Amino acid sequence: MVNKLIKEDTKMFLTGNEVLAYAANSAEAEFMYGYPITPQNEIMHTWCKLLPKTEAGFLQTEDEISAGFSTIGGILAGKRAFTATAGPGNVIMQDAQSMAEMMRIPFVCAVMQRGGPSTATVIYAQQETRLTCYGGNGEGFRVVYSTAGHQDLYDYMIKAFNTAWKYRFPTYVLADGYQGKMREPVVLYDPASRGINMVPATKALLSEGEIGVDRKSAHLRNTYNMEEELMEVLEGYKADYEKMSEEIEEWEEYKAEDAEILVIAHGIVARSARTAIDELREKGIKAGLFRPITIRPLAVKPLRAAVSRAKHLLFTESANGQLAQMVLEKLYGLNTPYSTLFKMGVGVTGDDVVNKVEEIIKEGI
Amino acid sequence: MARTKIVLAGEGGQGVQSIAKILVEAGYEAGKQVLYIPNFGVEQRGGVSIAFCQISDEKIGEPRFAKGDIVIMLSDRALDRCEAYVDKESTIVYDTSVCTHEPNCECKRVIGIDANRIANEQLSSRVFNIIILGALLEATKVLELSDIKNAMEMALGKKFDAKPELRELNYKALEMGMGLVKESAVHNG
Repeated sequence: MVNKLIKEDTKMFLTGNEVLAYAANSAEAEFMYGYPITPQNEIMHTWCKLLPKTEAGFLQTEDEISAGFSTIGGILAGKRAFTATAGPGNVIMQDAQSMAEMMRIPFVCAVMQRGGPSTATVIYAQQETRLTCYGGNGEGFRVVYSTAGHQDLYDYMIKAFNTAWKYRFPTYVLADGYQGKMREPVVLYDPASRGINMVPATKALLSEGEIGVDRKSAHLRNTYNMEEELMEVLEGYKADYEKMSEEIEEWEEYKAEDAEILVIAHGIVARSARTAIDELREKGIKAGLFRPITIRPLAVKPLRAAVSRAKHLLFTESANGQLAQMVLEKLYGLNTPYSTLFKMGVGVTGDDVVNKVEEIIKEGI
Repeated sequence: MARTKIVLAGEGGQGVQSIAKILVEAGYEAGKQVLYIPNFGVEQRGGVSIAFCQISDEKIGEPRFAKGDIVIMLSDRALDRCEAYVDKESTIVYDTSVCTHEPNCECKRVIGIDANRIANEQLSSRVFNIIILGALLEATKVLELSDIKNAMEMALGKKFDAKPELRELNYKALEMGMGLVKESAVHNG
């Protein structure tokens, strides 16, 4: 058991990376495995700086391949373990992430997106959206929360542990270099004070009791002999995933009820869109926002309802439409026209969105 | 004041991020809403280093903004990169003793100060960035001198206690920076 540092509501002025380290401690995480890569380094630094007080553990591995598999090892041993990565690190950690998907391991990972492809920039992007949702050789049986600022980082990092341990699908907090590096005020709290109880971490291997008498044997497989045997397992996972989806889907609507132009954006870009929507509303333009918070799984019903009400959609991302691709697939059969504002690896400002919406209106919606 | 958007840009190593940190810490301690994004490349030194800061009375929405109210440019490369953040409502502050040319864009006001020369000749090259912080404080007028001094104390208090003359040097640099902007206002007026 680790020592929790946040015992009462505490307002602090922190970087997002620091917030994530505190959140993991508040979620009673016991061990972090990681390998340095900008812009997520300060999650590790902060976690380590707090170790004398938290009495938690940390292992810096030789690379992200090892960090991913070590995290799995820690979890199998019954520790609430997690990792964090970004960019090329996220790419090479996919092997371990696929294993976690196959073996239903409550793997928790914070992804602080940076520019891509390859080394690109250390700053910011939303270009790991598809990778985080569907990376690896599998079907994307993962849960991905996309955050839009420091309070979200704290709230969803705590939630990620519970989602992972309750449903046993790899769970991600998908943020970015802006959120990691930027500083803004945040309120840290003890989850119990919000009625949040942490799902207990249990050993997957070497648990107490005699096999066949006190408990079943633990048989965690990532290898199968027969095609049909694999599909049978995956069909079970798919059913579990779909059942879970209804329980965990989250989204945010902002002035979307009567919106004629509906902006669809996730993460920090959604926050810029809110600024834009306030400005557009002041000019008498009926703009609104649909922001998926779980971008995997997507909240399809409310998404389709909001899209059906709108006259025109605007997808905006700091990527070339990675979310748009996932969303459009779910909008099959609807015929609301759409425009795009994609800035690959570059921040979207409120002004960008205002200008684009005004352009759309000029052309006639 | 609704929201003040500040772009601080210079060469890596000029201390741009250090003063941005002091500035936003001062804003936070003064009870304002603040948001700061550092922006730099993979280099340890060199390359353009930019700090996007916002200080506001209300909750801040967009983390990245299109145009700055104050855009501070401390090198030629910063001038080239950051004209994109300038519009006709922006005030530009640039260092005349580092930059070899003037900013070449439409804006509300240009303030040229020779902070680098003054730091080297009259104080110490180490407080160049603190002169800039003083200039920024005077140009924005959203925070008090005491707010900045408090934040400097939080960041550098231990160093100051060990060497009290450092505190005096930094305070002097702050006041000089403020003075440079005031002088420029008199010239312009």
